[in-house]
Amino acid sequence: MGFPTASAEVPDSTAPPFGALLAHIAAAGLVAGALSGTWSLLITERAIEPALAIEEARSATGGGDAEEMFSRTTQVLGGLLGAVLAGLVLSLVVAVVFAGIRHRLPARTDFGRMVLLGAIGFVVLGLLPALKIPANPPAVGEPGTVGTRTAIYGAVLASGVVVALLVSASVSVLRSRGVGIPMTTIAAVMVGAVLVALILVLFPHSPDTIPADVPAAVVWDFRLASLGQLAVMWATLGLVGGALVERLTRRSAPAAG
Amino acid sequence: MTATPHAVIPARVHVPAWAWLLTAVGLFVLYLVTQDNGTVLSSAGDMAHEFFHDARHSLGVPCH
Repeated sequence: MGFPTASAEVPDSTAPPFGALLAHIAAAGLVAGALSGTWSLLITERAIEPALAIEEARSATGGGDAEEMFSRTTQVLGGLLGAVLAGLVLSLVVAVVFAGIRHRLPARTDFGRMVLLGAIGFVVLGLLPALKIPANPPAVGEPGTVGTRTAIYGAVLASGVVVALLVSASVSVLRSRGVGIPMTTIAAVMVGAVLVALILVLFPHSPDTIPADVPAAVVWDFRLASLGQLAVMWATLGLVGGALVERLTRRSAPAAG
Repeated sequence: MTATPHAVIPARVHVPAWAWLLTAVGLFVLYLVTQDNGTVLSSAGDMAHEFFHDARHSLGVPCH
């Protein structure tokens, strides 16, 4: 089946106004931030503890590390607040992107479109950087290389967005030439996989080595906890945001049922 | 009227200028929280850095 021709396209009247869309997605962002903050309190903080113990052991043997500026309780609170803030800000970005590409997301409902966008967000902004330049607990990380590592991290995020755009563009091209959905999907997955593999292989690795006094299990547990926290955030944004936007769309178009 | 044989193309939602501005401000705040090592905030940056230290690590942002 071919791509519908222009004359057969019926613009729907269900598009909600942007202000309402933003408010609903931002509410989902707050929930996403709160849930990922809860994950941080229950799981990520437990993975940070052994790393902090290593730091303490170092300063006990290797002489004076500077006084800590904040107590651990304050820093744990900062971790929670930071997660909420991240959820809120990401939801603003999601709202703007959703408004811009709603007509191109291949799903039948706004719930489906938001879930899809959340999944893309997790893969591009969460999973991809986690594979290329994984999160590290305190006690790991050379202060002198933080600039290099941040540059790699930023470059991976940016190229992930480019990959998403290229995959989307190839889907458009194939569909407009009448290629069926199964073949288009296979081609899109292949294009995405090859480009992601190129990013993983060609981009420089983190220049840091893991210090010998940090057990592999401490690093692994922390990385899993961190990735889980990002997964909670994006899943909530997609699912709760999708449910809220779906309700909004149905309310603004009662005739469409 | 209800069932149309045509494909319904979901409308694009117009994004007003203030929304771009709001998003830019939000991203800048997130940058200050997750990235700034004193470049923008100088000494206050150290405080923000230490306060949000757990968030930086757990969100996977590179840190010292």
